[in-house]
Amino acid sequence: MPYFGSEETVKDLKRALSNPNVQTDRLRYRNYIIRVIRSMTQGLDVSSLFMDMVKASATVDIVQKKLVYLYMVTYASRKPDLALLAINTLRKDCADPNPMVRGLALRNMCNFRMPGITEYIQQPILSGLRDKASYVRRVAVLGCAKMHSLQPNTEIDPSMVNELYSLLRDPDPVVMVNSLRALEEILRDEGGVVINKPIAHHLLNRLKDLDSWAQSEVLTFLLRYRPRSNDELFDILSLLDDFLHSAHAPVMAATLRLFLHLATAHPAVQADALLRVHGPLLATCGSASRELRFAGLCHVQQVLRSQPALYGNHYKRFFCGYSEPGYIKFRKMEILVELVNDENVALVLEELKSYCTDVSTELAQAAIAAIGRIGRTYNEKCLDILTGLLALKQEHIASAVIQTFRDLVWFCPKSSVAVCKAVEGCDESLQDDEGKQALLWLLGEYGEQISGAPYVLEGFIDSLKVELCSVVKMELLTAAVKLFLCRPAEMQDILGRLLHYCIEEESDMCVRDRALMYYRLLQSGVDETRKVLLGPKSDPSMTVLTGRPEEPVNIWASSFNTLGPLCGTVACLENTSAENSVQQLHSAEEKDGAEEFKLSPPEQTLRTEAIEEELSCIADAAEELNLTMGPPLSHEAFERLWLELQVAHQQALGIPRPAETLETLQAAFQLVKIQTLAFTRTDAVPWKAYMYSRAGGTLILAELLQGAPEESESIGNLLVSVKQQPENQQAIRSFFSVLTNVLQTLSSHGSQN
Amino acid sequence: MSASAVFVLDLKGKVLICRNYKGDVDMSEIDHFLTLLMQQEEEGLMCPVISHGSVHFMWIKHSNLYLVATTNKNSNASLVYAFLYKLVEVFTEYFKELEEESIQDNFVVVYELLDELMDFGFPQTTDSKILQEYITQEGNKLEVAKTKVPTTVTNAVSWRSEGLKYKKNEVFIDVIESINVLVNANGSVMSSDIVGSIKLKTMLSGMPELRLGLNDRVLFALTGRDKGKTVAMEDVKFHQCVRLSRFESDRTISFIPPDGESELMSYRINTHVKPLIWIESVIEKFSHSRVEIMVKAKGQFKKQSVANNVEVRVPVPSDADTPKFKTSTGHAKYVPEKNLVVWTIKSFPGGKEFLMRAHFGLPSVENDEMEGKPPITVKFEIPYFTVSGIQVRYMKIIEKSGYQALPWVRYITQSGDYQLRTNA
Repeated sequence: MPYFGSEETVKDLKRALSNPNVQTDRLRYRNYIIRVIRSMTQGLDVSSLFMDMVKASATVDIVQKKLVYLYMVTYASRKPDLALLAINTLRKDCADPNPMVRGLALRNMCNFRMPGITEYIQQPILSGLRDKASYVRRVAVLGCAKMHSLQPNTEIDPSMVNELYSLLRDPDPVVMVNSLRALEEILRDEGGVVINKPIAHHLLNRLKDLDSWAQSEVLTFLLRYRPRSNDELFDILSLLDDFLHSAHAPVMAATLRLFLHLATAHPAVQADALLRVHGPLLATCGSASRELRFAGLCHVQQVLRSQPALYGNHYKRFFCGYSEPGYIKFRKMEILVELVNDENVALVLEELKSYCTDVSTELAQAAIAAIGRIGRTYNEKCLDILTGLLALKQEHIASAVIQTFRDLVWFCPKSSVAVCKAVEGCDESLQDDEGKQALLWLLGEYGEQISGAPYVLEGFIDSLKVELCSVVKMELLTAAVKLFLCRPAEMQDILGRLLHYCIEEESDMCVRDRALMYYRLLQSGVDETRKVLLGPKSDPSMTVLTGRPEEPVNIWASSFNTLGPLCGTVACLENTSAENSVQQLHSAEEKDGAEEFKLSPPEQTLRTEAIEEELSCIADAAEELNLTMGPPLSHEAFERLWLELQVAHQQALGIPRPAETLETLQAAFQLVKIQTLAFTRTDAVPWKAYMYSRAGGTLILAELLQGAPEESESIGNLLVSVKQQPENQQAIRSFFSVLTNVLQTLSSHGSQN
Repeated sequence: MSASAVFVLDLKGKVLICRNYKGDVDMSEIDHFLTLLMQQEEEGLMCPVISHGSVHFMWIKHSNLYLVATTNKNSNASLVYAFLYKLVEVFTEYFKELEEESIQDNFVVVYELLDELMDFGFPQTTDSKILQEYITQEGNKLEVAKTKVPTTVTNAVSWRSEGLKYKKNEVFIDVIESINVLVNANGSVMSSDIVGSIKLKTMLSGMPELRLGLNDRVLFALTGRDKGKTVAMEDVKFHQCVRLSRFESDRTISFIPPDGESELMSYRINTHVKPLIWIESVIEKFSHSRVEIMVKAKGQFKKQSVANNVEVRVPVPSDADTPKFKTSTGHAKYVPEKNLVVWTIKSFPGGKEFLMRAHFGLPSVENDEMEGKPPITVKFEIPYFTVSGIQVRYMKIIEKSGYQALPWVRYITQSGDYQLRTNA
């Protein structure tokens, strides 16, 4: 950024630097050099002074040397020909008796990012690797990596790699860690530095001598090592134990990650480790630095995916402080929602309620949404709070509450009565599009129970001309038609006006087409319209078994303590899985009766255990056939696949449906690595269950069906349909044999009892 | 971890100083940083990680500076933050205050430090005590002699130099406990805990071996002693000099101390403590006319103890004017730039109760903007007293030259994050 007088400045400096009087007065000389660097820092182009600066590098004053080197590194790529002149001075300095100077020269020489430099630095680096001062060795080791990064495509010098591997045994801890870092860079294309048994054990033994940066990095490198035996594994784990309580949060997190990774096959050990670090993790959530606090919260969120109960008693640690930044508060609220249990629900709700009136709109709305999430389990308490918030007549609060209501009635249809009562008369405070959409949806869906619904819609229709959002208009159309179906007398005139406006005057084609569609639908008869619009949205007897299953630790352990979870990918994941269950649109299967699926009483678990033993034998067999659960499949994804795929195989098993409770069934299938997604309730006819598994690289989706009793041939005979992607008959056969085995075991047990 | 480059920016996003460590991220990427940050701030979705294409910015803010690290890898984020805070710590130790001016005034030292702290994106020497031995601001005074690599850089005990000499050998031990309290608007304590730390100021010659004895409950249980009060500590963390294995096996805290000031250990105690200074407040707001505030402070600690420099900070509306105060002790001051009344009581004996009344006028035209409800915060210090009852039972100092050294112990309890929410 050249500015007025910059040329003058450079000229002045040039004159001063070449003045022999200045050069003899060391203090003055250095002051001029400082002025050069200051100009450089301010963005002035002082590259024309390169020659004078090269001259100035021949000095005994180490600060001056540093500054000149800094200058050279900055401009080397721009003046490669002149920079070569400086190389000689630098190479001479690399042989200086003072290790400080040697290290400094070598480091800066390696920082020259210009073509052709490698041939000059190779020799100094190699001698630096054998220098007696560890300071120089540290620099030289990283110099190897720098050299490689300058010429990424050249062949790797095996002797240098060997030398670096041998420097892993260097007495200086920083040299050791730098060697690891350098090897990792150089060998990237070959998969990075190799951690074999001797190296792994060496690193583990040196761990306590390292500073916290090095510790975290070495722990990350150790992720590559797989212990050969269980004895070795547990030796390593006990060595790592101390570091779980490290004073440095990053070291603690890195240790935990390694711990979880090593103990992949030992869920109990993993659980124990998570239990033991919950203190330190909580402490990072209260750390003085807000970024580390944020990182800590993200880590806790990951742990909660597998162990939701772990932090239940510590919910108070996740209450928001007044001055905390938004990103921390959002995470804390997300965590609070996960932590809610019977004991703390009252206090958590009290706390969340106080956030609902926060000055920050986003925060207030997030708090309301959080209460809505809790409302899926603790219905009444939350409805009371949300209804109370509506009375505040605040625009953004009302909007968020209405949206929350909409999501809530999807999950808990029983809350519709209270919601309808609350919705009455809150239309005036809604201004934003999302809020309006939510209100319109509620009015359309529950219009029967909201006495003022037609008048509210009328208000919307009257102000249609000034409405800008087409989605709101479409929602309005749908709501008006739905309401017309249940309250024709009040709605006829209003609907007519709406359709007329939308067809004749509306300029948005989507809205117009939608209006035309409804118009023609209504023309074809009210019954037809009713069938289309008010048909069942989903099979009410199909309910998700659990809100969100506890995930195995191994699913998230690999991304633990990286940048990923902080960037919000976790949050996205959670949102989708939560919404999935809403969208169970099994429109093909129409059923009546909206009874809720009830979890069976706890005494049943005893029997589950009894069966477990027998099943474990089957499980062994299953492993030979390589059935695995793999990454969890969301309900939505399952459904999409199920609708897309053709039935690959259908077979009657000749076995009746086991009389066990659904929980037992689910547990039994899980043992043989078959994940059940949904069941109809026990006494439903026809009875259905959906499940999936993976084998031989394919995904197997299956439906168990037991027909109605009047179809005599289907009594006591389960019909299994299997869909698969991609096809693999072998895998299907394995799946069938495992499935039959399980069902036989279960039904024989059922008959014994 | 690996950071490609580190930047120090002013609040306008101008680069004050930067260092390109790896050369694998374009340095001009930083130009996007502030724009993106502003955008996030507007949307109310600020986040300490900002991504632009394949480049991630991890940033912290310190006074009027942004410290930003860029990376294009999925590196260990908390380590990068820890490094940025380390930068702040090191710079602060050098310049007292880290801010735009001090960076500009000391850019030579900043460059030197950035060069030693990190190389090729990897942290190297980050201990400021060691750095201070060979990078000094007095470097400007031109000394040729002091350019040797300090022994500490290569020492086995990386935190202490050899050959230290003191005329009088002394150790000062400070036991400091901070109390964090959050009280609900209706007066119930939502959360409270104690964060303690033991700080040392060591002035000892040679390489002394120190052993510290505390009334640690686990230790007493181990040795079967059960006289006197003991304390159960959680989340105990030590300076790297403490031999962790010994602490794990028999709870002995033994170490070779760093020279000068350092934090030896920290701990947390999660027991429910009575808030030492209890505040009751009535804040009545009469729209368009006035605000009346009544605050009662009560010392809920032993009569013998005295809390010093007590500050009760009461929030007031931003458009308040014409303050009037009446206090039973101490004095109250209106700080309009922070929208606070600060009530200062120099000395507050235990068991006593004091009262402050404040009256403010409000403009008849009301402020449209909604205001938050900041809590009342309290600051205080109580010397010669720890809430948890932790005690230093002994400090043994052994050095091979056999000198006698004196340990001095001080106890102090202070407010940490001490918040009481209000109704108004």
